[in-house]
Amino acid sequence: MMLVPCPNCGPRNASDLRYVGESHSRPNPNEVTPQEWRTYLYMQDNPAGLLKETWYCRSGCRQYFTALRNTSTNEFTNHPLPGNKTGAVDPSFHYVSESKSDTNDGASS
Amino acid sequence: MSEFASSVVKTYNETASSSLTLSDLSATTKAIVRAGQGTDAAAGLGAPFGTSRVVDGTLVVGVRPTEWVVLGPAEAVWAFTDAIDNTGHVSKIDFTHSRALFRLTGEDAPKVMEKICSIDWADAMMPDSAVVSASVAKVSCDIIRNDVDGTRSYFIMSDRSSAQYLFDAILDAGEEFKLGVTRA
Repeated sequence: MMLVPCPNCGPRNASDLRYVGESHSRPNPNEVTPQEWRTYLYMQDNPAGLLKETWYCRSGCRQYFTALRNTSTNEFTNHPLPGNKTGAVDPSFHYVSESKSDTNDGASS
Repeated sequence: MSEFASSVVKTYNETASSSLTLSDLSATTKAIVRAGQGTDAAAGLGAPFGTSRVVDGTLVVGVRPTEWVVLGPAEAVWAFTDAIDNTGHVSKIDFTHSRALFRLTGEDAPKVMEKICSIDWADAMMPDSAVVSASVAKVSCDIIRNDVDGTRSYFIMSDRSSAQYLFDAILDAGEEFKLGVTRA
């Protein structure tokens, strides 16, 4: 059983939640190229390590939240705080991949 | 042995002698109140997410961070909800007919719940008046601990469309503990 730390409900069985996917900031569709938009929509980083991802607590508080998970060990390395929404888990964390650096939160900084 | 007539689930034979009982209270008036954080209504409801309290003959249940359910006799529920401040993002809806409500009572109630729900039912985690939302037999439910004269008791609330399946699943889980059906 994999325990997911919901900020409102506490640790819950992963079957009580829905995995939304990797957490990325949505680029402005009026400013990006079609290539960048396709990358945002379809390309995943899929690292073997820390990944910022969005979860939906479908059986509990019905809230979306963001958490950091080590995809190799399924360990959640920081626990989101109540009230934090997508992208607000850990401002200091930026996962940068070589293939998709233009679509990650703060990756260019 | 009398016949158990339910408002939602099919007819069962009543087993009044059991110390562990399941009853259908779906006819209970239920109102849902949604109030944004920081509103006077949210502060006035006084049951933060994960807790419940009895107010003026109603049970006010904090089922989500900004959502409450008010249960009780119709007059008491409407009197309570009418008095809630409407300022800001506040809505009140009668959803009596969209939700099923069961009550599972008995000292073995946690053992039954353990079989169909992954929540820790220990007193430390789920004391009297605590509220939790979780999957019960794969059905999303709100569960409220509401002890009766010191005996463990849980309200289990689900969508009405899942009522029959959920009722049967709870009965099946409670068979080894001699779970009986009683009239509401």
